[in-house]
Amino acid sequence: MTRGDADSSRARVGPVAPVLELHGVRAGYGQIEVLHGVDLSVAAGEVLALFGPNGAGKTTTLGVCSGQIRPSAGSVRLMGTMVNGARPHALARAGVCLIPEGRGIFPNLTVRENLRMATYSGVAYARVEERAFEQFPRLAERRTQLAGTLSGGEQQMLAISRGLATDPALLLLDELSMGLAPMIVAELYERVGEMAAAGLSILIVEQFAQSVLGVADRAAVMLGGRVQQVGEPESIAAALGGAYLDGH
Amino acid sequence: MSPNASDAVGRAERRDTAADVPRRRRTPVPVRQAVVLSGLAVGAVVVSAASWAGTPVTVGNVGGMVVVGLSLGAIYAVSASGLVVVYTTTGVFNFAQGAVGMYWAFVYWELRVNRGWPAPVALALVVLVLAPLGGVLLDRAVMRRLRNLPLVLQLMVTVGLMVAFMGIAATQWQGDRGRTVLPFFGHTGSFEVIGVTVTWHRLITILVAAAIALLLRLLLFRARLGVAMRAVVDSRSLAALNGANGEAVSATAWAIGSSLAAVAGILIAPESQLVVDVLTLVVIDAFAAAAVGRMRSLPWTFAGALLLGVGQQFIRRFLSFDDGFANMHEALPTILLFVVVILLPQAQLRARGVSAQLARRTLRLTDVKESTVGVAALFMLVLAWTGGTLPFTDAWSSVGINRGVTMMVTAIIMLSLVPLTGWAGQVSFAPLAFAGVGAVIFAKITGDTGSAYGLVLAAALTAPVGALMALPAVRLQGLYLALASMAFARGFELLFFTQTAVIDPNRGGRQFAPLSIGGWELTGTGRGYLLALTVVFGAMVTGLVALRRSRWGRRWVAMKDSEAAAATLGINVIETKVAVFVLSAAMAGFGGALFGLQVGTLNVLQFELLVGLPIVLLLVVGGVSLPAAALFGGVNTVLFIVIKDRWDYSWLSALEVLGPGIMAVVMVLNPAGAVAEIGRGFARFLPWRADARAAYAAEVAANREPEPGELGLSRPFTAADMVATERALSVANELARPGHDGAAAAMTVERPAP
Repeated sequence: MTRGDADSSRARVGPVAPVLELHGVRAGYGQIEVLHGVDLSVAAGEVLALFGPNGAGKTTTLGVCSGQIRPSAGSVRLMGTMVNGARPHALARAGVCLIPEGRGIFPNLTVRENLRMATYSGVAYARVEERAFEQFPRLAERRTQLAGTLSGGEQQMLAISRGLATDPALLLLDELSMGLAPMIVAELYERVGEMAAAGLSILIVEQFAQSVLGVADRAAVMLGGRVQQVGEPESIAAALGGAYLDGH
Repeated sequence: MSPNASDAVGRAERRDTAADVPRRRRTPVPVRQAVVLSGLAVGAVVVSAASWAGTPVTVGNVGGMVVVGLSLGAIYAVSASGLVVVYTTTGVFNFAQGAVGMYWAFVYWELRVNRGWPAPVALALVVLVLAPLGGVLLDRAVMRRLRNLPLVLQLMVTVGLMVAFMGIAATQWQGDRGRTVLPFFGHTGSFEVIGVTVTWHRLITILVAAAIALLLRLLLFRARLGVAMRAVVDSRSLAALNGANGEAVSATAWAIGSSLAAVAGILIAPESQLVVDVLTLVVIDAFAAAAVGRMRSLPWTFAGALLLGVGQQFIRRFLSFDDGFANMHEALPTILLFVVVILLPQAQLRARGVSAQLARRTLRLTDVKESTVGVAALFMLVLAWTGGTLPFTDAWSSVGINRGVTMMVTAIIMLSLVPLTGWAGQVSFAPLAFAGVGAVIFAKITGDTGSAYGLVLAAALTAPVGALMALPAVRLQGLYLALASMAFARGFELLFFTQTAVIDPNRGGRQFAPLSIGGWELTGTGRGYLLALTVVFGAMVTGLVALRRSRWGRRWVAMKDSEAAAATLGINVIETKVAVFVLSAAMAGFGGALFGLQVGTLNVLQFELLVGLPIVLLLVVGGVSLPAAALFGGVNTVLFIVIKDRWDYSWLSALEVLGPGIMAVVMVLNPAGAVAEIGRGFARFLPWRADARAAYAAEVAANREPEPGELGLSRPFTAADMVATERALSVANELARPGHDGAAAAMTVERPAP
């Protein structure tokens, strides 16, 4: 569909179906339900920031979007197609790119081999490498090094470069800033901003990071397994403190 | 209190632990390891010098040693690399690798020799088609389900598979005639290089191994599939997020592993004998090579394999040992495995799947009163049944009594594993080695006087051997302990029981006088002995039940769940571990002495590793943490013998192996164990188990379909009910179809305002 169209301008609202749409999604782990009916949509070319405290269900929501967790009720649509219960690798090949929290890399593979893994999305390896090294020249210097021996920031760059290089239809970022120095976080979000400017649809999950506000078109707050508020990033940020305190 | 960026960073937990960071490619060799290794090297030199056979060191002799050793090593390498590929990719250590190779070697024989197919066709069909298909099938049917099972069960299921394959092969190709696979280009096909004769078969073997090494290297480092196989090792879920199909990757690994096993089996068959046990054990020797590669480095695995092959040939050609150590060349892989496993750095020993070791539900512990009642009932049953008091049966014949004794003796030996494996989580495949030690001690000390003190001494003197086994166990866990115990058992089989001073093969006749206890004379095959054994077994079960509820029982269980947590609670882990090994060895030694009394004459074959495996498996099938499982295991051991005896069908001919093997494999479907399931069904009929009746009633109520109108009135209306109802009526799917978006949206109650 709209996948990989790097030159299109950012279409905020359009007649096309949203890239990602969740309706009344319920999901959990075994007997424990974590999401009690999540509604969320990301329009084409939109950057949505999803905030929330620990245990709000943010990561679970991403798990549902990427096919790792099967929803027990509700619907997950990718560009209008229902994808409930699709397997993660199938969704990844269809253009959903989740950069998981922690380090989304393979520590015992070299940098090049990590990038090689990104070619399952259908992009040629030469192009993946070219784009990744262009964005993060530091990775080029370390191409034959084992990824586990990179610094935290470099590991995160390597993880994001998969999102950069493979023209995903939808990029899901889980707690990108976790455990990184603020300066590096700012640099990473600068790149995310560039991707957004190129028309990529992105769902960013963070507990809270100032840097996200500069990138996001809309923001949402999640609490107790539901999306509580959706709105302009600035107003959400202002209301956030209250929402955290009010609890449910 | 508005959270800000630095807060978020501060709060964030760092998930990546040191264990996720790979070791740098160049590992500095610790000094301690270097000292131990050089010590071993010096020891090897001294042993060689002391037992030098006087074979002249000529080009021909050394060259012959190298050629034969390399070809043997090449076969080990092929088999071990299959093991490594599967283990690194799927996390399952396939104990059945050797048996799989053995099986395909038999299939090859069937096609090539029995049906006269041309060698290339038979080879291609077995190695490229049947074996990979078999591997994929194994993955689908069994291995995939193993991933979330506790490690003990993972190990037992693959050992079960090994035993099952041996049973299948023994049934399909019965040992009624000799079978041979000719070497490629026959026995005479050879050429000579600088005075060394090289057969084509050996040259082909070495070339095949080299080609496989090259192909594996290319696959794992050049092809995307291979990179994905290595990526899955790091993180299965992340690989899937990249778009790699984890299931397909696992299936590929199993196909490769199975195919490599087949290659190894077919190559070794002409060099060895086409006999089930022999072939399985030869390929098991490859475990040592895989251990040298720390189960994941292919180059080191190949190096270990070649060292092993050449080392064995060296011993065979240049050294001579007296009769007791005549198996030295065969024992070399075992010794190497034991040494390497012990030397492996602790950091490498992190067992996989620790998080999956949670028990599904809490098992209720039997109390001493219940156990006493059960044991008394068992005794009355045995008393009445053997005496012919029960209707429809006569008094048992001597054959029946003997089988009853076998059942009880086996059950007693099995009991030794209940505290060790069931409670403390220490996997051991060596109960028969301890039993053998006990039997030997009993025979030596008081066998010919029949004094009952001998039994006590047998238990007491076997206990230190258990402490010996505990030494490696202090450092080892899970898979590595299992391997060490296997090496231990095989080492005893090859080097200890073969000593003339231990078991004299030339001494015939009964070595055990009837046991005399307080004026009673018990022969090893009489009814009195069976009744006495029942009493002993009952006492041991009750003792174990009491022990499980004691401080020691709790310590062992705590240690199994987490050694680190147990240590922080102030439990001395080493002491606790040694104690359970000592207890287990004493029990097994006691059982072994009783076994000796039954059979009358000891021989090496009774205590072999392969004989012991079905015993371990049947106990695990029963449920390794329950003493009652030992009775289940004993009953089944005898049941297989009885069935085989009663129905003389050829497909039952290997039932005593096939049965336990298949039962163990089927455990992937029911990990709780048979006795736990039987107990759950049976408990509600016991007068004092009101709790079991209540649980049963609750279960019945929960599974009942709700009556229409009942929901929300007599029974609370839960979220699960709602989901189930929606699913049953397919409401969600109907509305979710394209074109019904409006309706789907209307269903959603809480929709946030955009």
